[in-house]
Amino acid sequence: MAAPLTLLLIVAVTIRAALFRSSLAELIAERVEVVSPITAWKRVVEGLALLDLGVSPYSGDVFHETPLIIYMFHFLVDYAEITFMTFVFGALCVCICFFFIYLSLMPFQFRKQKFALEADRYPMDSLELIRSPKEMYYVPLKVAMFYLLNPFTILSCVAKSTCGLNNAVLALFFLSTIKGNVLLSAIFLCLATYQSIYPITLCAPAMLYFMQRQYIPVNFHRVSFWWFIVQYLFMYLGSLFVLICLSFFLLGSWDYLPSVYGFILSVPDLTPNIGLFWYFFAEMFEHFRLFFLCVFQINVFFYTIPLSIKLKEHPVFLIFMQLAVISIFKSYPTVGDVALYLAFLPVWSHLHRFLRNIFLVSCVLLACSALFPVLWHLWIYAGSANSNFYYAITLLFNVAQILLVSDYFYAFLRREHHLTNGLYLKRKDGSEATLILK
Amino acid sequence: MAITEVERRRGQLAALSIAAVVIIVGVPLWWRTTETYRAWLPVSQIKDLAKLQLHLSADVEVVFARGTVTPEQQKKVPLTQTQDEEHTVDGDLLMQFMILRSQNMKPARSFDSQTFFPEDTTLRYRYETKYRTATIMEEDALKKPTAAEADLSLHMLSESPCGSLVVYVIPESSSLLPEDVNVYIGQRRTALVRISAQMRVGKTLEQLLAQLEPQIKQVLQVMSFSHTDITVALSDRVRFRPGNKESIADSMRAFKSSPGYEITFSLLNPDPKSHQLHWDIEGAVQTYIQPLLTKLSPLANFSMDSQTLYYTMLGVTPRFDSSFEAYTLNADSLAHVINPVEARLGSNAASSNPVLNFLLYVPDIRHSPLYIHDHRKQEVPSNAFHSPRWGGIMVYNVNGFYGSETEFPVHVNINMAKVMGVFLAQLRLLLGVQSLSPPPGFLVAPCGSTGLADWELDRLMWSRSVENIATATTTITSLAQLLDQIGNIVINDNIAQQVSSAVTSLQLAMAELEVGNLGFALQYSKEAILASEKAFFDPSLLHLLYFPDDQKFAIYIPLFLPMCVPILLSMLKIVSEARQRRREKQAKKE
Repeated sequence: MAAPLTLLLIVAVTIRAALFRSSLAELIAERVEVVSPITAWKRVVEGLALLDLGVSPYSGDVFHETPLIIYMFHFLVDYAEITFMTFVFGALCVCICFFFIYLSLMPFQFRKQKFALEADRYPMDSLELIRSPKEMYYVPLKVAMFYLLNPFTILSCVAKSTCGLNNAVLALFFLSTIKGNVLLSAIFLCLATYQSIYPITLCAPAMLYFMQRQYIPVNFHRVSFWWFIVQYLFMYLGSLFVLICLSFFLLGSWDYLPSVYGFILSVPDLTPNIGLFWYFFAEMFEHFRLFFLCVFQINVFFYTIPLSIKLKEHPVFLIFMQLAVISIFKSYPTVGDVALYLAFLPVWSHLHRFLRNIFLVSCVLLACSALFPVLWHLWIYAGSANSNFYYAITLLFNVAQILLVSDYFYAFLRREHHLTNGLYLKRKDGSEATLILK
Repeated sequence: MAITEVERRRGQLAALSIAAVVIIVGVPLWWRTTETYRAWLPVSQIKDLAKLQLHLSADVEVVFARGTVTPEQQKKVPLTQTQDEEHTVDGDLLMQFMILRSQNMKPARSFDSQTFFPEDTTLRYRYETKYRTATIMEEDALKKPTAAEADLSLHMLSESPCGSLVVYVIPESSSLLPEDVNVYIGQRRTALVRISAQMRVGKTLEQLLAQLEPQIKQVLQVMSFSHTDITVALSDRVRFRPGNKESIADSMRAFKSSPGYEITFSLLNPDPKSHQLHWDIEGAVQTYIQPLLTKLSPLANFSMDSQTLYYTMLGVTPRFDSSFEAYTLNADSLAHVINPVEARLGSNAASSNPVLNFLLYVPDIRHSPLYIHDHRKQEVPSNAFHSPRWGGIMVYNVNGFYGSETEFPVHVNINMAKVMGVFLAQLRLLLGVQSLSPPPGFLVAPCGSTGLADWELDRLMWSRSVENIATATTTITSLAQLLDQIGNIVINDNIAQQVSSAVTSLQLAMAELEVGNLGFALQYSKEAILASEKAFFDPSLLHLLYFPDDQKFAIYIPLFLPMCVPILLSMLKIVSEARQRRREKQAKKE
C-alpha cells in the first residue's frame, strides 16, 4: 500500500504546486466560498503588516485570526516559499493523521467484533454485515484520497486559507484520541477550540471514547465516571488557560478576545458565504437580531446532548456527526470545513447498503458547487441575478449536507439494529417486517 | 429484546434532552431578547402640559420726573400695582399639526388628541408696575437736549434686565420731544411719556394714574408683547383668527422658530462676459450683518456662507417698458422668479436648519437696467423684494458703468452698503422682527448700528419663547399619545431621558416666564424644543412600529415550526407510552 500512497501524495502535491504557480491562485484566494473573513490569507498578511508596524493586528477590524497563528506566520514570513509549504504541510498533515486514525481504528473495531462474535451476540444472518479485514484494507488509502484529491481541499489549500491549519489541529486531535493519549487529545482539542470555539462540542465524543477504551461505565452514579470527566476537563481547561495567557503575553493586550471570539459569535461580517448566517442576518429586523443570533449559535451546540445520548457506544461516529454539524451550522463556514468531514465518508463505506438518497444528495452537492461561482458572477458582475439566487444555492447546499449527514446517521442506526436483530426481520407471525425509524 | 429496549429509552432521553434545552434555555432567552423595552415616561406631567397655561409677566417701572406729580401726590405714590389679564384660547385644532420645518423623516403628527388630552390653552398676562419718582441723576439725564441723548444716558445709569421696561413720565414743558409727539420709544428698554397739561391739573393721583394707564398700556403693546403676537406664536397649537390681512401676512412672513438658521448670500452673475463683479461679502457681513446676529445670538445660532453663481438667469424674461426706458419685472411675475434659481442654489446638506437665501442679481447687459415694479406700476425704490420664509432678492443695476467705449468685461465693485441695507431690512422681516407702524403720537428711535433695538429683541424673545413652548408641548404630547396608543414601540432609555429633559425644561421655561426672567425662559424653551424633537424623530422608535402580533408569527414560524413538530411529536409519543404502561400495570393488578 506504500506505493499507491506515495503516488497519491506526489499527485496531490503536484496539483497544488501547479495551481499555486498559475494565475488561478489569486482568483481562488478571493472566492467567498473558499475563504472566510477569519481564514483569509489576505487578512493574515494585513495583520502581519500591522504587527510589523508595531500596531495591534486587531486594530482596524480586518484581522480575526488568533494570536498564535499570527506569531507563527510572523516567524515564518521571511521565507515566502515556506509559507506555501506550510499550507501544503497542513493538508498533508491532515491526510496523514487520517491515515493513522484509521490504521489504529481497525484493530479496535475488529476486537469489538470478535468479542461480540465469540459471545454469539449477533444473529447468523447478519454475518454479512460484519466487516472483513480484506474490504477494510483499502479504506485508509481511500480516506487519504478523499481528502487530498477533494477539490474543496485543493481550493482551500491554494487559497492559503488558514482553515487547513485548523483541520490539521483537529486531525491531530483524532489521532491522539484514537491512539488513546488522553493528555495530547485534550491539548489538541483545546488548540482547536482556541482556533474557532465550536470544536468544544467534541469534548463529549472524546470522553466517551476514552471511557469506552478504559472500560469506565457511563453511569452517573459511579465515582470513576466523574473522576475521569474531572481529569479530562482539568487537562482541557488547563491547556486552554495556558493558551489564552500565552496569547495575552504575546500580544500584550486582550484585544484578541472580542476580535476573534466576539467576531465568531456575534457575526458582524455578513459577506456572503456558503453558510446560513449572512442572508438571514442581513434581512433580519434589528429587534430580533439578538434572539436569532442566540438561536443560531445555540443550534451549533444543541445537537451534542441528544447525539451523545443516542450514539453513546459509537464515539467515532459521533465525532463525524459533530464535525458535520459544526461545518454546516458554524458562522463562517468554508469549503475547507466541508472537506474535513467528507474525508470521513470512506470510513463508513460499510453503511452504503443502507443509504437511501446518496445519489440525489451527491448530485445536488455537485450541482451546487458548480452553481456557486456561476450565480456569484450573475449577481456581482453581470447584475442579472440578486442575492436571493446565491442564497437559494447556499440553502440547497446546506440542505443537501444535512440530508447526507442524517442519511448516514439513520444508516448507522439501522446497521446497528440489524446487527443485533438479524438482517431479515420477521414479525412474530413470520411475515416480513418493515423497520420504522423513530 | 433488551437491547432494543435500551435503544428505545435512549431515543426518548434524546428527545427529552432536546425539549429540556428548548424549555430551559430557549424560552427565557426568547423572553429576554425580544421583549419590547419601554422605559418609564412622565405621563402625568405630560398630561398636565397638554393643558397649556402660560403666565407671562413683565415688569414695568413708571418713573415720574420732576414736575409731573405734586409733592402731595408724590407721597401717595403706590409702590406696586399688578394687572392681570386672562385669555382662554380654544384649542380644538391640534389635529392638523404638521411640522414642515424638519426635512428628515416625517411621521404625520395628527392624532385624535381630544380623547386623551383635553386641550385648552390659557394665557394670563401680568404686568407688574412699579411707581417711583426719578432720582437726581435721572433728572439730569432727562434734561439732555434731545431724546436720543437722554435715552443713552438713562441707559448708562441703570441697565434694565431682559423683558422689563422703564417708562419715564416727563412734564409737558419738557423740550425733549417734538410738539406732536407724546411718546418716545428709545433704542433700549426705555420710553418717555409726556403728560399732557389737562391730565395733571387739579386731579388726585388715582385719577392721574388712571389717565396714564392707557398710554402705558400702548407703550407696553409696542415694546413688550401683545395678545396678537402671542396668538400668532401659538398658531401651531391653536387656530389663529387673524383680524386683518396684514397680520396674516406678518405672521406668515417670518421663519418659524428654530434653534439655528443658515444664511446664504448669493451673487448671481448671468453675464460674466460683460461683467466682472467683485463684492466684498466678508467685510460687508462683518460690518452690517454680524452685529445684528450677535444681538440675536440668544435666539438661535446663525451660520453664514456666500457664493457666486455664473450664468444663472431669473425664471422670467423682463419686459422692456418704453415709458421708463428700462426693463421691468411686474409684481405678479415675481413669484416665478425664484423656482428656477433655487435649483441651482444648493444648500448645506449637513444641517436641517431653515435656510435664508439672499440673492443679488446683476442683470445681463441685454436686460439692463432692470427695475421691479409694484402693483401700482411704480418703481420699487430698493429694487428688491422678499419671499416669505425663503429669502430676499435684490436687483443691482450696473448700467452706470457702461460708457461709450468701455471694454468688456466691465469691472464692477458692488456697493455693499446699499446692498446690505436692503438685505438687513429683509433679514429683520424674515426673522420676525416686526416693525409695526406705531400708534399716532409715538416716535420710535431709529435702531442703531446693531440694527435691532433692545425692546425689539425682547418682543422677539417673548414670542419665540411662547412659540417654542407651544411647539415643544405639542411634540411631547403627540409623542406621548403615539407611544400610548401603539404598544409595540420600543422606548429606549435615551428617548425617555430626552422626554424627561424636555418636560423639565418646559416646566422651567414656563416657571421662568411666570417670574418674568425672559432670558432663562428662552434658553429653557430652546432646550425643550431640541430635546422633544430629538425624542420624536429618534429612529429607534420605528424599529417595531410595524410589527403587529400576526407579523411576529410570520417571523417565528418559518424557523421554528419545522423544529418544533418532531419534538412535539416525540413528546406526545412518550406521554402516550407512559399512559399505556400505566394502564397495563393497572390491568395486571386487576
